[in-house]
Amino acid sequence: MNVDPKIKTHQKRSQWWFLLHSWLAMPIWLFLFFICLTGTIATVSQEIVWLFDSSVRANPPNDAATVLSFDEVIDVIERDFPGAYIEQITRPVKSQFALTAEISYPDSTSENVFINPYTGEIQGRAATGFNFRQFVRAIHGWLLIPFNTGFTRYSLGWYMVSILGIPMLLSLITGLVVYKKFWRGFLHPRLRVNRGARVFWGDFHRLAGIWSIPFIFIISITTIWFLIQGLLFEVGVPFNGVSTAPIYVARDDVPTSQEGRPPLLLADQAIAKVNSRYENVEAQMLYFPSTAFDHYRILGRSQAFPLVHESFLVNPYTGTIDEAMRVSEQPGLMLTRLSMRALHTGDFVGLSLKLVYFFFGVLLTMMIFSGMRIWTIRTFKATKAAFRQKKAFSNLSGGLS
Amino acid sequence: MREVRQRSKGMNKSSLWFRWRFHLSGLLILIPIVLTPSYIELMSIFGGANGLGERTVGSRQVGPWTITLAEQFEAGPILDGPAGYMKTFNAALCQECAEDVKAVYIRLGKPRNLRTAGVIGFGSPYHMSFTMPVAENTSTEQLVWLTLEGWDGALHQTQWTLEEASPATVQFLKQLQE
Repeated sequence: MNVDPKIKTHQKRSQWWFLLHSWLAMPIWLFLFFICLTGTIATVSQEIVWLFDSSVRANPPNDAATVLSFDEVIDVIERDFPGAYIEQITRPVKSQFALTAEISYPDSTSENVFINPYTGEIQGRAATGFNFRQFVRAIHGWLLIPFNTGFTRYSLGWYMVSILGIPMLLSLITGLVVYKKFWRGFLHPRLRVNRGARVFWGDFHRLAGIWSIPFIFIISITTIWFLIQGLLFEVGVPFNGVSTAPIYVARDDVPTSQEGRPPLLLADQAIAKVNSRYENVEAQMLYFPSTAFDHYRILGRSQAFPLVHESFLVNPYTGTIDEAMRVSEQPGLMLTRLSMRALHTGDFVGLSLKLVYFFFGVLLTMMIFSGMRIWTIRTFKATKAAFRQKKAFSNLSGGLS
Repeated sequence: MREVRQRSKGMNKSSLWFRWRFHLSGLLILIPIVLTPSYIELMSIFGGANGLGERTVGSRQVGPWTITLAEQFEAGPILDGPAGYMKTFNAALCQECAEDVKAVYIRLGKPRNLRTAGVIGFGSPYHMSFTMPVAENTSTEQLVWLTLEGWDGALHQTQWTLEEASPATVQFLKQLQE
């Protein structure tokens, strides 16, 4: 029996890689499975609501195909909810969704109102606060553990979830090391369904794995970033707002008036100011001034770099643009934060990309399950064998020296 | 011989520990399940679905206007990193006066002038939010001052004792200063 010692060490090394790969996720597989499953649901949570709740859909009427301007939407709200105060209006990226306006009532309650963007019809209302979308995100992102409880400024759950990015990235790397010549799997896909559970789950794990390389890479890197983001925030690195320092309208610029609140610049005028100075800005979110010294905040997704929003602060009395955060003006940390989030959620192109994320989310969730199945059937035996071999080998070499 | 028997007992494949140890991380799923009711409650407080806050302090006539004050949570201040302890109050202006009041400020202790009137209320006049700093050496006898500034420049003030405004904050300070 003449075995080339080089091959033997190589085999041994890949065996230990394989064991590392197997042990990375196994002790936490069920938690990881839960996080991936809820993340997959969270990706399409808005679409799930769309399926079940017709009031959040934007059905265009047969004749008119133009969408209402922000001012026209405001008129509709003021007509239907006299006395209410509008806090923000969101025009979703995806054309199949209704406009959402958050409004506050004199009895201190507030609601989200869903408005048909073509007809201005109020299609539905929902109390702000609890909703399915945020609920799924909160389970996935921080296990519903509250933020800023005095112990950590971010939620403790945030760290419990985001630390999973590390074993996930290591699983990807070790997986590619132990799957010899994995690129062959692209040309010769193999999924044997009639050779028993072990063979099926093994084939599935490898096939789904190689096709998910970019997805797992994106998800694990962005997850590790979320961990870093939380830690940076804990130590007081400021990047949690859109601007680094808040900008207010100077006291002298705020007019006094004997007849109560002076008329503000109209929303469409404020947006027109931005559009006249900056090219390629499509206003998607409009925040009303939250104090007498606050601005209109207008947000639009960057056309050049769709991972981030650009934001503009328009003085509601004079119409000057007091801050413009285009992609190039955003500080690096802010840009990283916005891009990482968009990459993680897949919410920057539209339905098509969300469905892609959903598909790979399902694959990843199933990979964790299949990994567990393979492990319980095979790895336990392999570990025992490897240790037995190592012991025998060290006994042998000990005896030789 | 004895050692061997013990080892085989530990590795017994039918033992609960042996079969379930790699599924134990699933117990973490209990966290969101247990926290769901309090999450729903928290969201309804943040969203204003329950009204102004967890505990309404009361309404006051301030000059020509009426304002209602509430504690966001019936709890002491929360440490907000280097900024120190913060207590969140919410306030609502009456519907008739919402358009007349330019700003509402809150602080512990009597402000000397408008520049030191305290933190400004953010948001809808029906649900303004104030994050008020509470120094660790604050006297429990201190008054909570509200300054209302009209669009016409008029200033009107009112105050509550800290005990009235937030018994939990008084409790918190007593414990802190012991």
